[in-house]
Amino acid sequence: MAVAETGSAAGAANAAARHVRFIGLEKDYWRVVVRGAILLMVTLGLYRFWLATDIRRFLWANTEIDGESLEYSGTALELLQGFLFAIALILPIYIAFTITVLDLGAFGNFISTSAVLLLAFMSQYGIYLARRYRLTRTVFRGLRFHQTGSAIRYSICAVWWWGWTILTLGFAYPFTRAALERFKMRNTWYGDLQGRFVGSGWHLFIRGFLMWLAVLIPMLTTVAALLSINWSAAMAALRGGGDVVGRIEKASPGFLGQLGVAIVGSAATLALIALLLPAFHAMVMRWWIAGIRFGEISAVAHLRTRDVYFAYLRFIGYLIAFIVVLLVGVFFGLLILGTFFQDGSMLSEFVTVAMMVGTYVVFMLGLITLYNATVTLSVWRLTANSIELSDTRPIGQVKAAGDASSPLGEGIADVLNLGGI
Amino acid sequence: MTEPIAVGLTSDAVYFDGITSARHDVTLELNDYAVVIFDRAGELIDQWPYARLKHLSAPAHVFRIGLRKAENLARLEITDHDMAHAIDLACPDIDRTGTSARQAKRRAIALSFFAAVSLFAVAVYGVPAIADRVAPLIPQGVERRLGSAADTQVRAMLDKGPRDRPFECGTAPAEQAGRAAFEKLMSRLRNAAGLRVPLQAAVIRRDEANAIALPGGHVYVFKGLIDQAETVDEVAGVIAHELGHVANRDGTRAILQATGLSLIFGILLGDFVGGGAVVLASESLLKSAYSRGAETRADDYAVRTMQAAGGDPRALGRFLGRIAGKARSGSIFMDHPGTADRVARIDAMAPPQSGGATLLDAAEWRALKRICAGYR
Repeated sequence: MAVAETGSAAGAANAAARHVRFIGLEKDYWRVVVRGAILLMVTLGLYRFWLATDIRRFLWANTEIDGESLEYSGTALELLQGFLFAIALILPIYIAFTITVLDLGAFGNFISTSAVLLLAFMSQYGIYLARRYRLTRTVFRGLRFHQTGSAIRYSICAVWWWGWTILTLGFAYPFTRAALERFKMRNTWYGDLQGRFVGSGWHLFIRGFLMWLAVLIPMLTTVAALLSINWSAAMAALRGGGDVVGRIEKASPGFLGQLGVAIVGSAATLALIALLLPAFHAMVMRWWIAGIRFGEISAVAHLRTRDVYFAYLRFIGYLIAFIVVLLVGVFFGLLILGTFFQDGSMLSEFVTVAMMVGTYVVFMLGLITLYNATVTLSVWRLTANSIELSDTRPIGQVKAAGDASSPLGEGIADVLNLGGI
Repeated sequence: MTEPIAVGLTSDAVYFDGITSARHDVTLELNDYAVVIFDRAGELIDQWPYARLKHLSAPAHVFRIGLRKAENLARLEITDHDMAHAIDLACPDIDRTGTSARQAKRRAIALSFFAAVSLFAVAVYGVPAIADRVAPLIPQGVERRLGSAADTQVRAMLDKGPRDRPFECGTAPAEQAGRAAFEKLMSRLRNAAGLRVPLQAAVIRRDEANAIALPGGHVYVFKGLIDQAETVDEVAGVIAHELGHVANRDGTRAILQATGLSLIFGILLGDFVGGGAVVLASESLLKSAYSRGAETRADDYAVRTMQAAGGDPRALGRFLGRIAGKARSGSIFMDHPGTADRVARIDAMAPPQSGGATLLDAAEWRALKRICAGYR
């Protein structure tokens, strides 16, 4: 009797603690993304607006917070419209730059360099506006989210911080994330309930420092080894027959050793990135969720690193199976090609090129679709299911505020190839 | 046809009024034109006419509806299957099974497929046609500036000789006679072609058998071409071909075509993972195809020019056959048509000719052969 009571009490406590749930079925998600990948190919990418909308509808609708599911109210036609707006905006800039660069010689070259910077600003500008669109299309309990704040200020902030992240080889990454999340979250509202972000860059830094070091050391070793080789002398010694290796060794002493270090170093870098990625993914996710506040509501995600590793392992398993199927397909394709075309005509050449490009496209789309269907969905589900809210009462006491925003930002992000869910 | 509305049907539901996030447990009742919402105490909250209902995205077990043209996002969430079904039937715009949504989507997919196909067609046929029409509208001044930018780059790329050696032949005393012959040949060809664009033609010190035309009337004949030519008509044929590029403004056209292609493939199409390969392959195949067209037109121009100048139009074909060798008939990645095809086309356009060699006399031809003799 006592045992039964304790058990049910623990169960009830557990259910109460499960404030967030993901209730979507994996097979439904697979159907959405696999069909989407095929249609992307058939429409040369024009289907992307519908795919993004379908994915968001699925993820939003199946995420329940305190018993109520989110609703994504955006449509594919809005995304298409935003894309067309953005083209109308960006095309004149693009043409003006093309003409300037063609027309002005050296000065044109300077301008084309500054165009890269402009592109970086515009990307971040688009990203911020796109986030505004997504938030204002997110409805929860009859109220929408919205986002305030200047997209221009955000883009300046983001370019500044990401610039430091790149210059410091990732050292500044935690502080970049913290600064940008602070900017985004304090401008994020659920009705009249303002968000904020209290996660600290130092916390993330301390947790990730060893991972960063583990990747950076072999990477820097590789770079140092490559730099210590006297490349021009080694290249010069390459010419002519005979004892090439001996001559290179003489031209650039220690060449073979340094090359070996570089090869081992780069292999170690890649292996460590692959091994640490799931742990990093889980760590950043936990840190991010723990930093979010809406009013006095806070959240903790008990996302287990082990589960994220399993998600990645499943991805690798599916990927291997997919590659095997693809290779068999290519083999039979080549077999058929060999029987039908033996003349080296333009047509056979065209079919060969089409097949090569087709294989590459199928591989890349398959890769991203599998990642989406395994890692993205799993991490979303695992995170949602592991979230614990401090207090759910304020959720029911929010008043409506904010209006729907234009999909222009999504369009800019799309034109600049920065899609995202 | 339409089934009768289940008037009087009631069920529980969850209601959000769109003003606050408070959750209201309500009772719904259907009348003949609206869903009537009562709170648990039986007080009327609102009436939602069937004609204004819209079905919203929700998890599979929830039927979520909102009101069209409402000033807020009030929502009703119904889990009672009979009620959901009755509202679905009563409201023509709601399709809970998603049949009409699927139809709309199929239409959208078909439309985007045809949009992709038609954009491809624009890339194949439209872009060169537009470039053909726009290129003549570009002012000469702009083209000259384009040309001088290209000229600086080409010179930097090709001029690998010692610093004190002039890149262009015909400046040293020993080269003066050759230069006079070259200028005579140029002006004869130019008059025969009726070309009014100002030209900047020169022979340059490169050993390849080649010649190039840049936008703005720059024509460079490589020394190797003159070395390998057996008659003046062979050199003249190649120069006439390059004049064809100048007259057709092919350099400018190529820039316009490249811009058009990068618009279609870089921005409108191919924006998906792996799409980069489609973009790259399509762009390079189409550019080669455009370029093959331009080369064929320049060959035609050369034949007409040589006929007008009184030279042997077939000399170009012979020369091509000799310097390019008998390459196979062509490749989709080559920017020139196959040599055999070019020779066949030239021969078909021009009847065989005897005599010829009237463009320069024997002494002038010998001088032209020595136009680069001033420096070693």
